Amino acid sequence: MANSVTQLKAGHGGRISHFTDERIAGKLMTMGVLPGSRLRVVRISPFNGGYYLKVDGMSIVVRNDEASNIMTTLDAE
Amino acid sequence: MHKIALAGNPNSGKSSIFNQLTGLRQKVANFPGVTVEKKSGKLHLPDGEEVMLVDFPGAYSLYPNSEDERVVLNVLTNPDDENFPDAVVYVADLTGLDKHLLLLTQIKDLGLPCILALNMADTAEQEGIIADNDRLSVFLQMPVVTVSGRTGANIGALKQAISTILQSEKINTPLYQPGPVEQNTLRKVQQSLGIEQPYRALLIAHHAEKLPFLLKEEKAKVAKICETEGFQGLRLQIAETMRRYQIFTPVLQAAIQKKAEKTTFSDRLDSVLTHRIFAPAIFFGVMFLVFQAVFAWAAYPMDWIESGFGFAAELLKNKLPAGWLTNLLTEGVLSGLGGIVVFVPQIAILFLLVTILEEVGYMSRAVFIFDKMMQQFGLNGRSVVALVSGGACAIPAIMSTRTIGNWKERLITILVTPLISCSARIPVYTVLIGFVVPSDRVLGIFNLQGLAFMGLYLLGIVAALGSAWVFKKILKSSEPSWLMMQLPPYRWPVWRNVGITIWEKTSSFVLGAGKVILIASVILWGLASYGPSAKMEAAEAEAMLIAQQKNLDETATGNLVAAHKIEASYAGHLGKFIEPAIRPLGFDWKIGIALITSFAAREVFVATMATIYSIGSTDDEATIHDRLAEARNPDTGAKVYTSATAASLLVFYVFALQCMSTLAVVRRETGGWKWPVVQFSFMGILAYLGSWIAFLLLS
Repeated sequence: MANSVTQLKAGHGGRISHFTDERIAGKLMTMGVLPGSRLRVVRISPFNGGYYLKVDGMSIVVRNDEASNIMTTLDAE
Repeated sequence: MHKIALAGNPNSGKSSIFNQLTGLRQKVANFPGVTVEKKSGKLHLPDGEEVMLVDFPGAYSLYPNSEDERVVLNVLTNPDDENFPDAVVYVADLTGLDKHLLLLTQIKDLGLPCILALNMADTAEQEGIIADNDRLSVFLQMPVVTVSGRTGANIGALKQAISTILQSEKINTPLYQPGPVEQNTLRKVQQSLGIEQPYRALLIAHHAEKLPFLLKEEKAKVAKICETEGFQGLRLQIAETMRRYQIFTPVLQAAIQKKAEKTTFSDRLDSVLTHRIFAPAIFFGVMFLVFQAVFAWAAYPMDWIESGFGFAAELLKNKLPAGWLTNLLTEGVLSGLGGIVVFVPQIAILFLLVTILEEVGYMSRAVFIFDKMMQQFGLNGRSVVALVSGGACAIPAIMSTRTIGNWKERLITILVTPLISCSARIPVYTVLIGFVVPSDRVLGIFNLQGLAFMGLYLLGIVAALGSAWVFKKILKSSEPSWLMMQLPPYRWPVWRNVGITIWEKTSSFVLGAGKVILIASVILWGLASYGPSAKMEAAEAEAMLIAQQKNLDETATGNLVAAHKIEASYAGHLGKFIEPAIRPLGFDWKIGIALITSFAAREVFVATMATIYSIGSTDDEATIHDRLAEARNPDTGAKVYTSATAASLLVFYVFALQCMSTLAVVRRETGGWKWPVVQFSFMGILAYLGSWIAFLLLS
């Protein structure tokens, strides 16, 4: 079962399984956010505008639109 | 001269390396046709050769997501481009190397000789990261040098590597092997456009539509090829990106030794600084301190500059023979120069503080905190920085919008920033609030005048956000708005970078905007000192007569003559000419003159009023206040300055764009006169309507 990042609570995470939008996938992947990357939601922004994520140890922020396209599976670690 | 490109991801510390290599021998320009900044500088190599180093904008890949990244693609796929490099120094952050190599592998596949500079060696060492450079070098077929932009460690070795690579043979096997569809497409593009380099042909197949160097026919040919071959750009791009990571990730895992991840200092700091509730409060606290510092620290040097220029003008007046040339020099040129230089302390201090916040990594957090709120108004999280800085001075604030990637969001930020009340409005506010608002206390602690002051600032903020919202609805943009941004770890600033940034911004203000201000001041001086000669002489004679009758002393006579002359001057005529237009706002021709002269800069208002009402000392606000209060209409005997007039004038100064420097800077940042004209007009209309309403309500 894959969940979108917007369904995760702060502190939770998993591995990225796929993206639901190719255009957003293209952008995220150039920054190193890839299928198979470890992802954790660090914090939801003030005013609920975006997500502070840790992806393979890299801190990255995305807007809600982008976050809802990132699908994760529960971490096996 | 050989050209060397400096490329790398944003946050790779590329600019530190650039500063280390070139020092202050930098030139700032734009890449042709776009407003993306291009820095270049000469570099002496150990073998005596001199090469040109060009700093490319930070980019993640050759599949661009912003104007900055597009420049990198446009140049690197066009060997005829004036900036096309002979070799590339690729800067990557050693502490996060697994996410930094995508662009390098693409540049390498274009057949360009590359050097990999592993930056942040100092931090990597502290974090216990060890890199096997030989292994990376063999895999990537390029020299690998570990450097530190902060300490300057190994910069010599990097220079040596540049020397060597310019003389050695190119050995380059592409890392990425295109699939069948890509192969077929790129071969046809190669034949059709006469391109040799395969990856270049592939990138042209992907991006032909938007590549500026291709002819229309060429674009059509490529589009045709892609269609017949079933070339699905986006899908193939994703597959290529995935494949590249699959190729280099295992090599990196073998070549880099890393300690297990743990909660870092940055993470702990972020849990406070990006906290959902505390973060906005902390941000405003920080900005308040910045604002205070700009105010408090800049006041002294600004005083010195003003008195310095005043002294120089006095000196010239006494030494040079009296005449129009001396007047032009002292009142036109010198005061114009003073008007430019006086902004330097504010600009320098604001950039000192903003650059420190940027270098430390705090600014990207501010973007995260306010992005949502700003989006509602068609702005970007990064606009917060500009809007807050605008409270000190719009000029550096507008220059700081260069970090906003989306053009529409950047443009709106530039357009509305001057509505935030800047420090130059303070003298005008001070004089006029005295009329409207009694100096009483409310609830025992709040001074009513102080509250009015705050009200004017709020009025500016509301107007800025409101106009932004309107522009958001009017302006069309094909560029999608999105935010994906890496938050760099908090780092101690590199002082060298801070210093160079301040130097660069300040000098570009003085040289760029300075020219326009100087020319306009000279014109304004001419308007205020000259008029139809018969009338000017008559005015002077009349003033002398009155002075004799009233038995005035020498200073008072001089002041009276100046007052009568300005009325007879072209500026006076202009003031009378526009009087019918500003009458509905409650202004007479004298205020008209002040409005015209304060177009040069708002603070001139007080000085002009002083001249018109023949007060010798310009900085005595209390005297002006008294004179204005006494002023009466000669025909009706009614008071000219009622509280309605003063309120109307206040609203006018909140909204109107009376600052040549701002217009000059906007022209430079937007690359033409269109946007400064739009900005001047909408703010003018806003000011006129606002004043009219204020006058109607109060009179």
